[in-house]
Amino acid sequence: MTDHAGLVSAAGAVQRRQIYADPAVYEQELERIFGRCWLFLVHESQIPQPGDFFRTFMGEDDVLVVRQKDGSIKAFLNTCTHRGNRLCRADRGNARAFACNYHGWAFGTDGALVNVPLEKDAYFNEIDKTRFGLVEVDQVASYKGLVFGCFDKNAPSLSEYLGDMKWYLDVWLDAQPGGTALIGETQKVELMTNWKLPVENVCGDGYHLGWAHAGAMKAVQSMDFSGFTVGNASVDLEGGLSIAGLNGHSLLATVDGVSGYSFYPDNAGILRYLEQNRPTAIERLGRQRGEKLWGSQLNLTVFPNLQFLPGLNWFRVYHPKGPGRIEQWSWAMVENAMPDDIKQRILDNQLLTFGPAGLFDNDDGDNLAACTEQSSGWRTRQIDVHTNMALGRSGPRPGFPGDIAVGVVSEHNQRYFYRRWQEHMAARNWRQVPQYNLNPLAGDEALADAG
Amino acid sequence: MPADTRVMLPVDQHLALTQQLYCEARLLDGERYADWLDLLAEDVRYQLPLTSRRFRADRSAALAVGPGYVFDDDKARLELRIQRLESGLVWAEDPRNSARRIVSNVEIYQVETDREAQVYSVVDIHRSRIDAQQRRLTAARTDRWRCEGGVWRLVSRLIQFDHPVVIDSNLNVFF
Repeated sequence: MTDHAGLVSAAGAVQRRQIYADPAVYEQELERIFGRCWLFLVHESQIPQPGDFFRTFMGEDDVLVVRQKDGSIKAFLNTCTHRGNRLCRADRGNARAFACNYHGWAFGTDGALVNVPLEKDAYFNEIDKTRFGLVEVDQVASYKGLVFGCFDKNAPSLSEYLGDMKWYLDVWLDAQPGGTALIGETQKVELMTNWKLPVENVCGDGYHLGWAHAGAMKAVQSMDFSGFTVGNASVDLEGGLSIAGLNGHSLLATVDGVSGYSFYPDNAGILRYLEQNRPTAIERLGRQRGEKLWGSQLNLTVFPNLQFLPGLNWFRVYHPKGPGRIEQWSWAMVENAMPDDIKQRILDNQLLTFGPAGLFDNDDGDNLAACTEQSSGWRTRQIDVHTNMALGRSGPRPGFPGDIAVGVVSEHNQRYFYRRWQEHMAARNWRQVPQYNLNPLAGDEALADAG
Repeated sequence: MPADTRVMLPVDQHLALTQQLYCEARLLDGERYADWLDLLAEDVRYQLPLTSRRFRADRSAALAVGPGYVFDDDKARLELRIQRLESGLVWAEDPRNSARRIVSNVEIYQVETDREAQVYSVVDIHRSRIDAQQRRLTAARTDRWRCEGGVWRLVSRLIQFDHPVVIDSNLNVFF
């Protein structure tokens, strides 16, 4: 076990580069973060029918998520219980059963072993098939369409795990009747980066936008980047918040109610959708969220590796594949209440901006890879990296849970991300993991609405 | 259309169009994007659909709003991508990287439409970006080319990408 006390400073403002490259640190992450936290599996919209399955990963563990005959969802390790072969090689689809390629053991969609070839001739009918069902993921639960799995029986419930972040998640997941969906096929990209770097890039790093994406911002003049200038010459901090201190979850939020969709070229249709449906959002969420957050650009992060961005409408999970490699999986996300032409436009725009050939996404991969590589040299790895921007400038804000810094250009959220990372890495079990939802709402929302 | 009923172009046109494919690869390798745009018809459609790996016997319903496209570009959008690459602000392409396109398995057939040809080819893109890093991307292409005033121009390209996971940190390339 690595001593983690020195890897992240107490305030979370300094990280040792070792944490991005050290195989021992990575092994411990697989156990204490990916083996312990609730991890995103699938959106319910992706497996609507009985027998629908989706193949994904929890850490490096290959997992098969299957819709059951009764409509519930189960998740299994994607491995034959006989000799360990990968059971399912398809990405997704619909199946009545899964037969192993190797010896033909077949499992029902409920994970039960239903057929063993030569059961009579070679096993002499002595095999107890009930002992060899697929290994189930210990806990599976949904939150408003998002299905999560957890390998730790002693983990808090998904609802407790998400804590006050649910209040923010609802801005997307529950603003309109009918909920949300992920659309299009999975967009998979291999990046030679440590998994923590894309998470922190999106959870708190508004700083890179004007510089790293300068080429795209200059070319895409139809998009409105209010508050940012190409080349990072200046930034307007008004109108944005960095929100963290929620069990390691966080968000960046603009609070003007329209700025997210103003990134779209030809955005009249979607702005009209917001205008027409905002009364419903206010009715369901209250004025604070319905007016200020619904429709705004939000960067939502559920610790450890799930991020989704209402406004740019991408939904993304990072699967670790070793200390210096990930698979980044993305989809476009929509509200089911949206008309089909808006859904199609969102899918198209998400792919244009943050797809595998996205005008913005194609700026990030090399930066993340180089930050990882520059953590592996013997001398280089002994130095630190810094997230000390606007340190000590956060606090409560009436009506919003969390510890909040003004502006989306800040390193406030990264500090909380690394604090949470260290808490998990140091804890031997869930009892040692602190739970904190700073400045919980209590009755503040009514107060803010009245004000 | 079964292969044996396909009609080949006259040999001189076949040769000219084959040369055009090689020329196109050289222009893209040399980042001569303005010259490449000149090879494209005004109504060009340039597409790379997303796919997933499914069992042959899969009975799933079709996706509600389609699979989506990595590229689904008309000429204006290709110009937008090129403006970004030529902005001088795309740091991942500075210093300049090298890409070498090998175009092969070229088949060219006449189509009913006046002055158009259906062209099948394979492109093998070798990218050399940082230090010893090498990436190799392969795709099959189904093109429609049109002869306009003696010049062949690309009308449509459907790219069948061979990698379920994109094995590079960006796709700042055209296929």
